[in-house]
Amino acid sequence: MKSREQRDLFPGALEMMILRTLKRQPLHGYALAQHIKRTSNDLLQIEEGSLYPALQRLLKEELAKAEWSISSTNRRVRTYKLTAKGAKHLEHEVSRFEKMLEGITRVLAPGES
Amino acid sequence: MSWIKRLFSRRRIYCELSEEIREHLEEKIEELVAGGMSRKEATYAARREFGNVTLVEEDSRTVWRWPSVENLLMDIRYSVRMLRKSPGFTIVAVLTLALGIGANTAIFSCINAWIINPLPYPQSDRLMVFATHDKKNGWTGEHVTSPADFFDFQKQNTSFEQSVAWTGASLNLTGDGSPELVDGGRVTWNFFDTLGAKPILGRTFTPDDDRSGSPHVVILSEGLWQGRYDGDPKIIGRNVTIGGEAYTVVGVMPGTFQFPLMGIANLWTPLALTDKQRADRGGSWLPAFGRLKPGVAQEQAEAEAGVFFSGLEKQFPQTNANLTWLVNSMTWDIRRKEGAPELMIVFVTVGLILLIACANVANLVLARATSRTREFAVRGALGATEGRLARQLLTESVLLFFLGGVGGTLFGFWGMKLIESWIPSRIRGYMINYGHVDLDFMTLAFTLGIALLCGLIFGLAPAFENTRLDVNRTLKEASGQASGSKRGARLRQIFVAGEIALAVVVLISTTLLVKSFIISVRTGPGFNPANVMTAQLALPRPKYINDSQRRNFGEEVLARLRALPGVASVGAASNIPFGGFGQGVVVEAVRRPAQPGERTGAEFWAASPGYFSTMQIGLVKGRLFNFADSQGSSPVVIISQSFAREFWPDEDPIGRQIRFGEQHTVSTIVGVVGDIMRNHLRERGSWQIYVPLTQFPSSTLAFVVRSSADPTMIATAIRDAIWSVDHDQPLSLAPLETLIAVVDAGYRVVTKLMVFFGTLAMFLGTFGIYGVMAHLVSQRIHEIGIRVALGASSVQVMRMVIGSGLQLAVVGIAVGIFVALGATRSLATLLYQVAPNDPLTFVAVPILFVAVAMAACYLPARRAMQVDPIVALRYE
Repeated sequence: MKSREQRDLFPGALEMMILRTLKRQPLHGYALAQHIKRTSNDLLQIEEGSLYPALQRLLKEELAKAEWSISSTNRRVRTYKLTAKGAKHLEHEVSRFEKMLEGITRVLAPGES
Repeated sequence: MSWIKRLFSRRRIYCELSEEIREHLEEKIEELVAGGMSRKEATYAARREFGNVTLVEEDSRTVWRWPSVENLLMDIRYSVRMLRKSPGFTIVAVLTLALGIGANTAIFSCINAWIINPLPYPQSDRLMVFATHDKKNGWTGEHVTSPADFFDFQKQNTSFEQSVAWTGASLNLTGDGSPELVDGGRVTWNFFDTLGAKPILGRTFTPDDDRSGSPHVVILSEGLWQGRYDGDPKIIGRNVTIGGEAYTVVGVMPGTFQFPLMGIANLWTPLALTDKQRADRGGSWLPAFGRLKPGVAQEQAEAEAGVFFSGLEKQFPQTNANLTWLVNSMTWDIRRKEGAPELMIVFVTVGLILLIACANVANLVLARATSRTREFAVRGALGATEGRLARQLLTESVLLFFLGGVGGTLFGFWGMKLIESWIPSRIRGYMINYGHVDLDFMTLAFTLGIALLCGLIFGLAPAFENTRLDVNRTLKEASGQASGSKRGARLRQIFVAGEIALAVVVLISTTLLVKSFIISVRTGPGFNPANVMTAQLALPRPKYINDSQRRNFGEEVLARLRALPGVASVGAASNIPFGGFGQGVVVEAVRRPAQPGERTGAEFWAASPGYFSTMQIGLVKGRLFNFADSQGSSPVVIISQSFAREFWPDEDPIGRQIRFGEQHTVSTIVGVVGDIMRNHLRERGSWQIYVPLTQFPSSTLAFVVRSSADPTMIATAIRDAIWSVDHDQPLSLAPLETLIAVVDAGYRVVTKLMVFFGTLAMFLGTFGIYGVMAHLVSQRIHEIGIRVALGASSVQVMRMVIGSGLQLAVVGIAVGIFVALGATRSLATLLYQVAPNDPLTFVAVPILFVAVAMAACYLPARRAMQVDPIVALRYE
């Protein structure tokens, strides 16, 4: 059986990355996928498809909104944009994540007692 | 409400999603093609990068849903489609379940109406009935006590709020139309108040009404008020004539009021015992009950009664030696009378039937699932998880059981009405709500509850069985002839063996009951009820005040009856077996001095000379009464065989004397007759004595008329003959056979039900064997083909199939016999002259089952024999 969630990521991580990317500039699905791949230097094994359920969740929670438009390559695309609520959520999530990371790093750091 | 908007805009969201994903893939492909890949390669690469498109879409859509509810709806829709696709399977399964569940619904609705529902009185759990119990001889006089004991206890006890005494009575209602014998009761003044019953008109009785010599008052039932008095609004205060005396109506009770211990009652008068009657301590004949004070337990009350009665024992050793009171819950007592134990046996039986039906259906589901392995494998390969598949299968089976539950409700409703119609109207008065049963919320909840529960339990096995499959192996198997897992086959065999075991238990129980029924019918009641018409009546006291008036009435009627055309013989007695009256007396043999406190009860009849020949009660020894045994001659008595055997085991009883009754009359034994059954058809010989009616004129009389043809033909003639002697005399006419049938109704109902359920169990068991064997053969066609190709003869093939079927049957039967040996012990009270481990039954039923199992295997075996190896192997 295939796992439905990306095992490599913790729940909410993908959403956080999407929100962070969208904060910089509105993007459509494909561009979003490429951007995350590129910036992570392909370190994260993310199926492109797994982006879509996450995007739907963001839409449902009204953290992002979407609009159809024509792209520079003359393609009909659906562009996602961060909402005010999304921006606030991102801030909150990022600080939570940083705290968590700090905690994990301290535990993992060698030599200190 | 945004979620409602969402619900309607979902289709658009899904479309956008699909389009978006399509565009995503297109963009990627184009980019890859621009980078120098061929279009085909690019498509592959894009898809690989993207992942499972269907799954992604589905997951994305799930975000917008309530997954559990919607999956369920989807599963149900799919299940309906699957069930419709195989109508044969669905119909058989639903019918099987409808039978099993319906049987339970019908029986449960009866149990609910008669046993679970509380008595129709406020705080009925505080109502207790009294019984007189002889500690030394072990007999118990149910409900009854002596008046003196009762009134003493009523005055002195601290446990009961109220104590009530009552007697049932058939009262002669005359005036305002034709004379009518109305069933009713004489009750102490607090009867209605203690039960918590309120009149719809007027009042209940007062202590003043209940004094001997007070003006006569009466309370009517709503039915009698509406029927006989046309609902006269001025009924209160009106005078009616009962037993020739004027009574003033003081109240009307609602139609819903009933007192099952009294039977049907439409008329109540105060008990108003005379001082002499109140002082009677010797005879236990007064029925009584009480209402406990709040917070007092049954045990406390019984303990108090025990202490009180040991006091009476010392005070009145002559009458009260060894006597005490038992205090029983009225609810328990009424339920026992309604046949609660018998009903519970039937309930257990239908429970077993339901298990058999469920096992059958589970087997069908398993068998069908085996042929659906490919479907599951394909769905597994497409990404369905094990849990998802199991849930789908479970939904299918629950849906199936639900349909069975709906069918069962219909079937059960019909069965319930049928059972209700079997209850003779005469015994309805003794049942709560007059034996009326309805399909109420409780019954419906029960039915759907068991349907869903069974669906879950019996659906789980196939669900787990079939979702653990090896996708690769199944899809690779050549023709979809997946042979099903070994464990699946094993499970089916266990189900079949189990259901055969259950069917054997049910059928053995049924056979025992039927055998005992046949024996009791064949033994007969000790007299011949065919072609005998009975007329029972009670002579009103003021009109027939002395013995000679009663004697004259009886002789006059007998003479007129004898003169009727078509009459073979006539007789009269103070009461008749299975009739409305019954008398008992205390007897002792004169040969030995009476031990104080020792009493022997005997059933008692005052009978005319023609009574024995009309009833065809056989003379064993001595003589019957004749016309010389008259008023002035020396008292004589005829005793029953069991009585003679008990008192004079090695001697000739003729010429010996016994003393009996309140008057301690001494009579000489002149004859011995066969035992008869007085109250029901499965009595063990009781002691019975007969005295001449001329010497003991009775105010209750029953005339028996044997005619040469259908006794109902002369019913009118008999009535007219009696009315020609006294035109105001009410009476009740019935063929003797009807009286017996009415009394025996409960047993007949149980026997009928058990025969039906026994047959059903066998049918379902057989069907189970057939289903499994047929499936087994179709699964093994290939193997059988090889065997035949290798030279197996058709006889060998048949032996193989029938052998494996029989193996299952024999295991099931063996287990069944073992279980039945223990289970049938609970039937002992219902059996008459048949032991619960009756050897013949325990041999015959298993043999029958082996035969039936072989028959069930025959069709599949024949199919196996006809397997053409070429055809079978071609599908390789």
